[in-house]
Amino acid sequence: MSANKDGDGGWKSFLWNTERKEFLGRTGGSWFKILLFYLIFYGCLAGIFIGTIQALLLTLSNYKPTYQDRVAPPGLSHTPRSEKFEISYNVNDVETYLKYTKSIKDFLEMYDEEKQTDQNKYEDCGALPESYRDRGELESDLGARKACRFKRTWLGPCAGLDGHDENFGFKDGKPCLIAKLNRIINFRPRPPTNNASVPEAGQSRVQTNVIPIHCQNKREEDASKIGEIKYYGMGMGFPLQYYPYYGKLLHPNYLQPLVAIQFTNLTFNEDLRLECKVYGANIDYSEKDRYQGRFDVKFTITNS
Amino acid sequence: MGYGRSDSYRVATSQDKDGKSSPSKKNKKGKDMDELKKEVPITEHKMSIEECCRKFNTDIVQGLTNAKAAEFLIRDGPNCLTPPPTTPEWIKFCRQLFGGFSILLWTGAILCFLAYAIQAATEDEPAGDNLYLGIVLSVVVVVTGCFSYFQEAKSSKIMESFKNMVPQQALVIREGEKMTINAEEVVAGDLVEVKGGDRIPADLRVVSAHGCKVDNSSLTGESEPQSRSPDCTHDNPLETRNVAFFSTNCVEGTARGIVVCTGDRTVMGRIATLTSGLESGKTPIAKEIEHFIHLITGVAVFLGITFFILAVCLGYTWLEAVIFLIGIIVANVPEGLLATVTVCLTLTAKRMAKKNCLVKNLEAVETLGSTSTICSDKTGTLTQNRMTVAHMWFDNQIHEADTTEDQSGASFDKTSASWAALARVAALCNRAVFKAGQDQLPILKRDTAGDASESALLKCIELSCGSVKQIREKNKKVAEIPFNSTNKYQLSVHETEDPNDNRYLLVMKGAPERILDRCTTIIIQGKEQPMDEEMKESFQNAYMELGGLGERVLGFCHLLMPEDQYPKGFAFDCDDVNFTTESLCFVGLMSMIDPPRAAVPDAVGKCRSAGIKVIMVTGDHPITAKAIAKGVGIISEGNETVEDIASHHTGSRSANSLCSLMFPLLSLSDAKACVIHGTDLKELSQDQMDDILRNHTEIVFARTSPQQKLIIVEGCQRLGAIVAVTGDGVNDSPALKKADIGVAMGISGSDVSKQAADMILLDDNFASIVTGVEEGRLIFDNLKKSIAYTLTSNIPEITPFLLFIIVNIPLPLGTITILCIDLGTDMVPAISLAYEAAESDIMKRQPRNPTRDKLVNERLISIAYGQIGMIQALGGFFSYFVILAENGFLPSILVGIRLNWDDRACNDLEDSYGQQWTYEQRKIVEFTCHTAFFVSIVVVQWADVIVCKTRRNSVFQQGMKNKILIFGLFEETALAAFLSYTPGMDVALRMFPLKPSWWFCAVPYSVLIFVYDEIRKLLIRRNPGGKWLSLSLYNI
Repeated sequence: MSANKDGDGGWKSFLWNTERKEFLGRTGGSWFKILLFYLIFYGCLAGIFIGTIQALLLTLSNYKPTYQDRVAPPGLSHTPRSEKFEISYNVNDVETYLKYTKSIKDFLEMYDEEKQTDQNKYEDCGALPESYRDRGELESDLGARKACRFKRTWLGPCAGLDGHDENFGFKDGKPCLIAKLNRIINFRPRPPTNNASVPEAGQSRVQTNVIPIHCQNKREEDASKIGEIKYYGMGMGFPLQYYPYYGKLLHPNYLQPLVAIQFTNLTFNEDLRLECKVYGANIDYSEKDRYQGRFDVKFTITNS
Repeated sequence: MGYGRSDSYRVATSQDKDGKSSPSKKNKKGKDMDELKKEVPITEHKMSIEECCRKFNTDIVQGLTNAKAAEFLIRDGPNCLTPPPTTPEWIKFCRQLFGGFSILLWTGAILCFLAYAIQAATEDEPAGDNLYLGIVLSVVVVVTGCFSYFQEAKSSKIMESFKNMVPQQALVIREGEKMTINAEEVVAGDLVEVKGGDRIPADLRVVSAHGCKVDNSSLTGESEPQSRSPDCTHDNPLETRNVAFFSTNCVEGTARGIVVCTGDRTVMGRIATLTSGLESGKTPIAKEIEHFIHLITGVAVFLGITFFILAVCLGYTWLEAVIFLIGIIVANVPEGLLATVTVCLTLTAKRMAKKNCLVKNLEAVETLGSTSTICSDKTGTLTQNRMTVAHMWFDNQIHEADTTEDQSGASFDKTSASWAALARVAALCNRAVFKAGQDQLPILKRDTAGDASESALLKCIELSCGSVKQIREKNKKVAEIPFNSTNKYQLSVHETEDPNDNRYLLVMKGAPERILDRCTTIIIQGKEQPMDEEMKESFQNAYMELGGLGERVLGFCHLLMPEDQYPKGFAFDCDDVNFTTESLCFVGLMSMIDPPRAAVPDAVGKCRSAGIKVIMVTGDHPITAKAIAKGVGIISEGNETVEDIASHHTGSRSANSLCSLMFPLLSLSDAKACVIHGTDLKELSQDQMDDILRNHTEIVFARTSPQQKLIIVEGCQRLGAIVAVTGDGVNDSPALKKADIGVAMGISGSDVSKQAADMILLDDNFASIVTGVEEGRLIFDNLKKSIAYTLTSNIPEITPFLLFIIVNIPLPLGTITILCIDLGTDMVPAISLAYEAAESDIMKRQPRNPTRDKLVNERLISIAYGQIGMIQALGGFFSYFVILAENGFLPSILVGIRLNWDDRACNDLEDSYGQQWTYEQRKIVEFTCHTAFFVSIVVVQWADVIVCKTRRNSVFQQGMKNKILIFGLFEETALAAFLSYTPGMDVALRMFPLKPSWWFCAVPYSVLIFVYDEIRKLLIRRNPGGKWLSLSLYNI
């Protein structure tokens, strides 16, 4: 309070008053008492806060968050990630696409066959799409549930297995994107009830027990430039036997189904905007969320 | 807005101009002001007329030659008042815009723009927050600036009001010819003629006069006309009879005089220049705000630098760290406080206006509350400014007349025959009459024509005996000798009421001792008795007693003239008196005073119990001043002045001894009261003056000049007092201006005094000042509460950002929500605290000590920031954690999540349950958190506003009577709900609807705040002045 009372001299004596042995206007004892007070005060506050947080944690379920209305309907995400919705590289320059291929490689590592050998953790769910595989109630005492195996080979040329194309097509200008439907506990995606919602080009791939995915040009003028798009994965979509997801605690080894999308004939040296969408009765899209049930990405592949 | 008294003229005159000019000029200006503060240097009154003529190269008959006059006009300039350089309106506006508190907000806004510029230059998609914040800050400052500009836009017209007093025309004699010229062209040496009704065109040395009387009230404050004559009667030019002053009025008679000063050099010109040139320092509240800004800036910079260093250590880039630094500093700026303070002051100003205190300058609202000394003018402020008969002496007994304004006082025995005789004399020997057309008005309110004493008698008789007009009609006046200073009496001869009685009645009034000399008999109980020694002595005693009360005493006598000597139709010759004026019959004495206003003694008492020293400063005589001072309690009963004590010691009780101040006696410690004469004041050194002001609690200054009033005010201020000056006359204006708060009288006050003042009492009632003091003290207390309340929410607003930086959690509270709190929900409750009733009798405590009792001190900051604010922050964070946890993000995974969280490309962010979130999905959760944090702050602010209601008392003692505050609670809650639930708010303000349960997250913390603070206050009450607790727990 007694700061800058008399100009320059005031500040100095405020900092350290030799007469009264005061630092910043208080004696050492006074500072000590203040600090002690605040130490106790904040100690108590911290205790109360931790107490309330503990009380909060007690009200939460271990298996399932209280509210899921913000996370559902699920997002559709892809690997490699786009930066500002854009994937651009030069086919002749490894450096420009190395980050993409590396991220796919890293991502697919957990789908390695040797990691899925433990019979206690994994089971085969068949090679053809089937219906939902119910593994009991969340809150029952069945403990951890088994996860369906997902074979990397199903991703075909985009699997990046030894001997195959380790560049996931990037080198040849035929890049792969690995798409996945975001995990949501207890969420059972339902296939589209009528085919009308699926674009014509994708209707051939609509089948029971699969959530179809379809990519197309976002702008009319790109229609002729995107070429053929190939889909790899069980049923070329997201098969239902992988659902529902039982959460991190009950389903620690869960592997979500993947779809590899390969753009086999993209026109080089052009900005191409592509949009991929999954179709289902309980899958929604949002104006604002560009990754809810769909994603769009801009490919710019140069070859010079 | 200007918290400095930016009100145009104050600063306009010298400060800003001199800022750029050379130091020598500055010194000159200072010297000029000192020069002006000195007494009037006129010496011509002591010169003979011839000397005077020689000095000005003029002639007593012919006047100046036209050539000389033209030469002097060029030399001295026109005879008018020079206006001070005026400040253009836009500069005043800018002062409002950039003064005081606004600087803080501007700095904040500039920092925001700077931060945005940095972001725009370095990032592709800069967040707009800083830009919005900068814009909002600027808008807030501009809007509040405009608001206070229009509040105070009543521009100063100090010089214009002086100019209205300046006469237009003057009658001068040049080269022997009378000519009417423009008053501006009058020059020194001119021979000027004035007559009744004229304004004096310049300072005149009177060379001849015929019954000339002037009204010097604008200079002295005393409205009693004074006669002018060519003789020097006093060394002091202001007291002498032979000087008439510029712009005073000639009431009657004619006079001729030589102009000795013109324009700014006249006495009035000096007062005008002095008044407009004076600067009063910053108002106490402006100083407090400045101190507050220092504190706040200190805290902001400290926090900013600390976290800047931390951020750099944590590996942020320099640019990021700089943006954090700016963000933290800006977050410390209480955006809403400027508006809150302005509104609080305005509300109080409005409330005071309702109680007849019109405040011209917003900041002056509080000044009265800090006032520790009031220098009050006597006439018109403490007194009613009208002579009233106070006492009568007849039948060898003093009778008291009713002097109250509403005739509620005691009456006296009116049945005595002596009273009838006295009343008849007073009615007949009296030239005053009521002005026509006022029959419906109460007698005391009627206007009269005639001098003050005669009007007083007229009203007194009219009140007690009925129509004076009828009495006069019944007793037709035959002859009359008017009052003159050599006779010191006035007489008239009348016919008697009884038509059969052909005798004439001679009535006379005048100075008591002169009247007594002419009397041989005295009327007692209606019987004429010879005047013996015993009677004479009792007359002397009565005369002394009434004189000692400061009253003006008149003696009355009459004589029924013997018919044989003065038969009917006797030709009375008044010029060559052909009838007896001796051996009369003494009837009685009547004494008059300008009585104090009824409410004043009580008000003075209240001021005293509030620790405010009341000093009387008057132009009137010491005896009268002292009598009024005793009457109103400025000198309290039982307190004796130095002179009283002295007179006890010497055993002589002489009224005159009051006038002389004996310095050795000053050391008498038992004299708490003193009366100081203006001439003595002149001799005092600064130290002696300080001693007097310091050692006496009850002081009366009499016969003071305008300059001395100023010196007294400066003396008080030198001792650290915050001085209020009340006054109504032009003579008070320098003191009014210099005072921390000048209070002018709305009805009787001159324009000049109103312009110089900061506050105007619309009912002229000194008692209104007490109301003002009370309101001022209350608003100071309540501002403290408002600020404590507003500052508290700063902590829950800053901590989210700090944790965001330090532990990398998703941002818990965004800029928009912060603005919604500061400029939205916090506003009404903060303002409602201005309506809070006082905790204890604020009029029973001492005025605050401006060096110790601060508006905002570090203890208040410590409690607001360190204690309540921290609890609030925890409440907010709790809601934040609840929402994130219930959506799947447990507190444990939040730390360090920020980089992924804010990465637009990451659309599969995993939560604690293994679910994956897209960017937009988790952002909605984040904004829901912002909304919940915002709602939590509203909830904890409920408790805070209740806690801030009192500083010592429990809320249970204080009660919840403040309806505005209760409204405020509902209003902020409704606003919060509106912001959260209105469709479209998600787009407009990025606020999302909350689930009902999330409203209750902060309630435990709200309760905690309430309980904690009640305990804190309990401790304070239990340990008044407590030891180490006070270091951290007291905010008073």
